[in-house]
Formats: sequence, structure tokens, C-alpha cells
Amino acid sequence: MKKIWNNTLDEGLIHLQLENGINLYYYPKKGFTKKYAIFSTSFGSNHTSFIDNSNGKIIKLPNGTAHFLEHKLFEDPDRNIFERFAKYGADVNAYTNFDQTSYLFSTSDNFYDSLSLLVEFVQNPYLTDENIEKEKGIIGQEIQMYRDNPRWRVYFNCLSAMYHNHPVKDDIAGTIDSISEIFKEDLLLAYNRFYHPSNMVLFVVGDLELDRIAEAVNKASRGFPADTVIPVKYYPEEPSIVRKNFIEDYMSTSKPLFYIGYKDTDPGKSGKASVKKDIVTNMLLDVLLSESSEFYQDVYSQGLIDSSFGAYYSGKSDYGQSMIVGQSDDPKRVYQLVIELMSNKMSLLSEDAFLRVKKKEMGRFLMGLNSVEFIANNLTDLYFQGFYLMDYLDLLSETTFEDLLERFERHFSSGESVLSVIWPEGMVK
Amino acid sequence: MNAGRSGKVELKSNRIALSDGIFLNIVETDKFKSNLLTVNFIRPLDKAEVTMNALLPMVLERGSKSFPTKLLMERKLEELYGASLDLGSSKRGERQLIKASIEWADSKFTSDKKSGKEAINLLKGVLFDPVIIDGSFDDRYVEQEKRILISRIRSRINDKRNYAISRCIEEMCKGERFGIYSLGYEEDVEGIDGKRLYEQYRNILMTSPIEIFFVGNLHGLELDQLIPAELYNRRDILLIPREVIPENNLSKRNVEEAMSVSQGKLVLGFRSSIPYEHEHYNGLLVGNELLGGGPNSHMFKTVREEKSLAYYASSRLIKHKSIILADAGILFSNYKQALDLILDQVARLKSGDFSDEDLQIAKKSIENSSRSIVDSNQMISEFFLGKVISNDERSLEDMLSELGKTDRNKVIIAMDTVTLDTIYFLNGKEGETDEENLE
Repeated sequence: MKKIWNNTLDEGLIHLQLENGINLYYYPKKGFTKKYAIFSTSFGSNHTSFIDNSNGKIIKLPNGTAHFLEHKLFEDPDRNIFERFAKYGADVNAYTNFDQTSYLFSTSDNFYDSLSLLVEFVQNPYLTDENIEKEKGIIGQEIQMYRDNPRWRVYFNCLSAMYHNHPVKDDIAGTIDSISEIFKEDLLLAYNRFYHPSNMVLFVVGDLELDRIAEAVNKASRGFPADTVIPVKYYPEEPSIVRKNFIEDYMSTSKPLFYIGYKDTDPGKSGKASVKKDIVTNMLLDVLLSESSEFYQDVYSQGLIDSSFGAYYSGKSDYGQSMIVGQSDDPKRVYQLVIELMSNKMSLLSEDAFLRVKKKEMGRFLMGLNSVEFIANNLTDLYFQGFYLMDYLDLLSETTFEDLLERFERHFSSGESVLSVIWPEGMVK
Repeated sequence: MNAGRSGKVELKSNRIALSDGIFLNIVETDKFKSNLLTVNFIRPLDKAEVTMNALLPMVLERGSKSFPTKLLMERKLEELYGASLDLGSSKRGERQLIKASIEWADSKFTSDKKSGKEAINLLKGVLFDPVIIDGSFDDRYVEQEKRILISRIRSRINDKRNYAISRCIEEMCKGERFGIYSLGYEEDVEGIDGKRLYEQYRNILMTSPIEIFFVGNLHGLELDQLIPAELYNRRDILLIPREVIPENNLSKRNVEEAMSVSQGKLVLGFRSSIPYEHEHYNGLLVGNELLGGGPNSHMFKTVREEKSLAYYASSRLIKHKSIILADAGILFSNYKQALDLILDQVARLKSGDFSDEDLQIAKKSIENSSRSIVDSNQMISEFFLGKVISNDERSLEDMLSELGKTDRNKVIIAMDTVTLDTIYFLNGKEGETDEENLE
């Protein structure tokens, strides 16, 4: 047992490595009624290509495999998993993103039974040709729903213009075509390679007892061969330049929507360095573009943007991008203004602004800790990057104005950017 | 319901009448790492003022006498450890709420002892001390925010599921206050200027019921200071009537709209004659949960899991109007099949074709989400506001205990009052078929 504690917050994590190989972390949240557990594997939509352990060849699964598998783990020979959770009064859900698949539930009651069920169903797939075919109709409608979402489309168009080969350019759920090619063998292959306890983590948050948590997990977990080697994920070579600078499309939307993307030409970091880059880049974007910036207020007063305007960085060790997003009658003009801002050579970066934004980040992180979902989801995300949420405040206070200046130079000087626009249908530009 | 529960929910608010129509509700707790102060002005939902009420918080947020520009205000908020200031309007039944809130990290963690007082003063300035020139808001700000409001009204079509829901309500409740769109109307935006908006602002200050909520650690803060002296002598406080539940007023509309979309959105609007004050209302609450409340509901199990017709298929109950809306996103060609299947599910509930276990699950699910209210400062504020609006003096435990007594018979009685009113379908444009979309 290991305790990872933050004394300022007087909150932290207790880690247990269970005999069956599961990494269990418990974050006590005294006085909270809601209890939350999230069981995740480091296998997301970006990981459909990997290197076969036996012969070193690259295996490519259809796009959307990770998400399809997420749907299918809810099958059970006897009784639907949703119903079994519902019986305990627990809300169960799951999500797949670029880097992970997570299964989770929250409840105020019957927590330990629900926890056993979570571990049990994720560790016992029940896949039949028939139930896989049935799911294609449901996932098909999920894909169509996203197709009709202009914000989703403008985002993925931006990624597809930015990346030549990296799978982050592909939609997480795949396409109607790609899911039609997903069969039982594909799902089982993905499951057997990536759902091994050594590739997974379980976080539990709430007012609970550690012994009973461990007991519930042990009771439900089945054995996995200890010598399993998780395959090496394969990413095709990705040039540091963007594929193209401009991409556009038409949809039924009220106003043109835009995403301006800056490609991270400096990936490859992991652990603390990667999280620090994330923090510094987001602070940088806040200083330059948030509501407290002259740029924002100026462009807002000109009527070029509205309060939907915002900017954020997201990235992992193998990809990353800053996104500047909003709606505007003249997105090309906004793009031009952003480019001018970024070529201004730091004249707009002041230490005052940096200190203000740093305070803001600290306060917002503290407010996040009010929510068990925020805690558990961020614990998971940071864990897969090799970092503990508890150390976030310390890392934040370590950042300096010099970090910001250096990051500005690295990230924005290359000018590798993309403008993605969704125009309202029938609009004449 | 379960003896093994760890600790009872403690949810108490200290309600203080500051003056006629102004109440301060304090929930003291050190559970959260931040403090939340919310001020609600309650208005009747009325076509004549809905647009101005939607615009007002947008203009107020542009600055106060102490922080006359948005830039200065945003920078002050950052100094206060990222305090978040939030102003907006929303629709609750046939009321319109103008809400302003500020949340700040507790000084225990930031060691900034002044932040609470400063946050409260900032909110006070925004609400009660705006920049006024000759009895008018600054017309430059008003004009800018008018453009933004128009664009927000138009952007309703961007989220197709919510668009379909709001269009269904609009059609179903034509001629009722509830049919009014919460952000107002484009044609009413043009006529507003700084002077007109200021008059409405004064009207709101002097006549609205005002409900203030604080959730967090007081640290000796004096919250009654928030309200300026002139508001202590108000007369003519509005009495806002309860919503009308129409009887035998079924419009039986069948509305179809075409748009260039890949997925059809089907929304069914049902009405019940049981108001929320009635003892049978819990039957309706549980009936709706059984119909489309979650993954164990009849709609989820049939429309999605059995027939693979949809990714989402669910229903919601609009408390103040006793309206149930059931919706699903489907292939255009599955319209008839999905419609019949949803109607079948309603019929099953009316005839008592549901298991005792599903009944228990539905009740438990409502209980579970009600219990988690105590874990969120926003939801605590909302919970107490909801009690005030619906004149409900029961505690959460009382409510849950009444819910627990809802048996099969009560669900059947309640569901028996549910009748279909409006079918709304967002269809693809002519010439677009599913096959084409499926490529």
C-alpha cells in the first residue's frame, strides 16, 4: 500500500497493487454521498495499429474498433449489464477517446456490489456474431448524430487537415463503412491484447472503506496470464508540417463556425514534462486569447467573435495541437488577426498577465476538486501520461514566466496552422 | 430504502426574509473548496419582456462602475483565483429566471482573506451599480449585445436534438406562455435601446421576487450588504401565477420539418392532467422514468437494444406543465416503426405491463440522482430555488419517502392521464434518402 498525499489539500490517493494484477487507487472524499469508480484501459481510437508480438508485423484493425468494443462489453449471456447496474441504483456509462476506453458508474447506494459488477463485466466479454451485427445499427445512428453536429465536424475537419497520417485525424467511432468491417475476431484480438490488468487502472472516489473496495475487486476479478506482453502501439511517421492550411464544408448551421489549429511540432514528451507542457501552453493561450486579453476584447468589440470564442491545447506524447475556436461572420479575418498576434514576437506577453492566469488556474483546479467526476476522470487521464493529479498544484506553482516565453517561441514560431470552417448552407461567401 | 446507507442527507437552508419579496437562503458547509453566491430575479414568462430579459444579463456583464470595462472585470476575476461570474436568463415552467452568480475558491486554500468580500462586491456592482448615462445603458454595449443575442437566437438550429425538442414545445404550446422561446425573438431585438432596457432593468429591480442563495463557508461575510438600501422599500412585488395545465385542449398536431441532416429526429409530446402538487404526481414521475428515464427504461430496451433503431431514445417530464417529451434519433425510413414502438411503450405502462422489478429500479434511479444533489453547490442552490418556485415545503427526505410509496397502481393511474398531443419530426430534405447518407 502506498499513500500519495497532498498536504495543502489534505486529500490524496491510496494505491493498492492487487494480486490479480489490478492497479487500484482510492481517493477518499469524506462527506460525499456520491461514489464513483472508473476502470480504464490505455486503448483508444488512436491505437488500432500495433506491432504483433509474435512476428513483429503491423496489425491494423478497422477504425472505430476501440469504441465498438466499448459498446459490446455491455453484453452478457444472462442479463443486460445496464439492467444489473440499474438494479443496484447505479448509473453506468462508458466512453472512448483517442487514448483510452473507460467504464464507469456512480451511485449513492450498493457501491461495493456495483464495483464488483464493473470489474466483472469489463473482464468477461461476451461476443457473438449476432450481437455484433445488431450493434452496427446503434453505432450507425451514433455516427449519424455526430455527422449532424457542426461543432464536431469543424473539429475533425481541422484535425484531418492538420495530420497526414496520425490516427488522431480519424473519427473516434469510425465511419459507417469502417464499422461494417468489424467482426468478432477483431474485437477479440483488441480485447486480448489491451484489456490485460497491466494495461489498465481502476480509480475509486468517494466516502468509502479501503478494505471493502479491495475485497469487492478481488471477488470479481478473474486471472490473466502474468507473462502477457502488451503490444507496442504503432504510429505512422507524421511530418511536422500540416497537410493543408484550409478546409471547408457546408452544413445547416446559423453562422460560420471555425477552428484554428496550431500543430505541436514538439511532441515526444511524457510524464511530468508532458503535463507541464500542457499547463504552460494552456496558460499561454489564456494570456493571449482569453476574455482578459486585449485581443479578445478588441475583436469582440469589432463584432467578429462572440462569447463562444475560446482556445485550448490538448496533446499526449505522440500528438498535440492548440485549437482556437468560435463562430464568426468572417472567420478568415479572425484567422488573419490570430496569425498577426502570433507573429508579434511576445510583445503581448507580460509577467503580470502570467501571474494572474496562474492564480486563475489554481482556483479553477480547486473548484474542480468539488466534483468526484472531475477528480476520477482527470486522475485517469493524467495517470496514463505518467502523472498523479495530486502533484498538479505543485507543478502549477513551479511554472515560470520564462517557461511561457520559451513555449511561445517553440509552439507558435513554426506557423504550422490550419483554418477549418463550416459555412451555413447556401451562404455566399 | 436501504438500511446500509452511510449517513443521512443533511440538507438545510437558513431562510431569511431581508424585506418584502427578497429572501436570503444560506447553506453553510465546508464540504466544498469554493463558495457560491447566486441571485435570482423571477419574472413571468411573457412575450412582451422575454427578449429584453434575455438581453439584460448580457449587457450587465459588460461592466460596472467599479470595473467599467469587461477587460478590467475579467482581470479582477483572475486575481480572485479565477472566480467565475455567470449571468444569464432561463425558462422554468412559465417563469423566466434572470440569474447572476459568483463562485470563488475558499480562502482556506488560497490564503487570500479578502477574496470573499471582493467577490461579493464585484457581483453587487454588476447587478446594482452598472454604468448609466442619462437614464440609459451605454448604447455601444447594447448594440453589440443585441447582435450577439440575434446570433444566439439563430444558433438554435445548430444542435439538432435540442432544436427538435424546442420546436415540439413551440408547436404543442402555441398560445400558451410555455410556448415562448427562452431567448426571445429576433423581431423584438431591434426595438430595444439603452433607455428602454434601463427602464426594464428598473422594473425588474423594483417588482421581481428575488431569491439569493449562498452555499459554502461564510467566514463572517455579511451577505445582507449585497442588497442596496432602495430595494428595502419596494411595493408592488409581482405575484406570478402557477402554470396552466390545459384540460381537453389537445392540439393533436403533426409537424414535419425538412433540413439537410443525416439523422431524423422524432419528438413526441404528451400531456397529463396531473399537476405537480397532486399526490398522484409521483406516479407520473416514476412512469416517465419507466418510459424513457435511462438504460433500463422501456424505450431504451426496445427502440435501441431490441430493434437497433436509435442511439438515443429517452423521455423527460416537464414538471411545471405536466408534459412528457419522448425523443429518438433515427433513420428517416424508420419513422413509422419508431413512432409505433414508442406509442406501444406508453400503452404498455397504461395497461400495467411492467415488472415490479422495473418499478423498483425506476424509483431507485430517481432516488439516486436526488441524493447526489448534496454533492454539488450548484445543485443545492437549484434544489432550494425549485422548492421556492413550486411552493414545496417538504424536505428531500420527505420527498423521497413519498416517492418510495409509489406503487404499481399509482403509476397506472398517472399514466392513464397521459395523452399524445404533438408529433414533431425533423426530416431530411427531399431527394435525400438514408441510402445516400449511408454511402
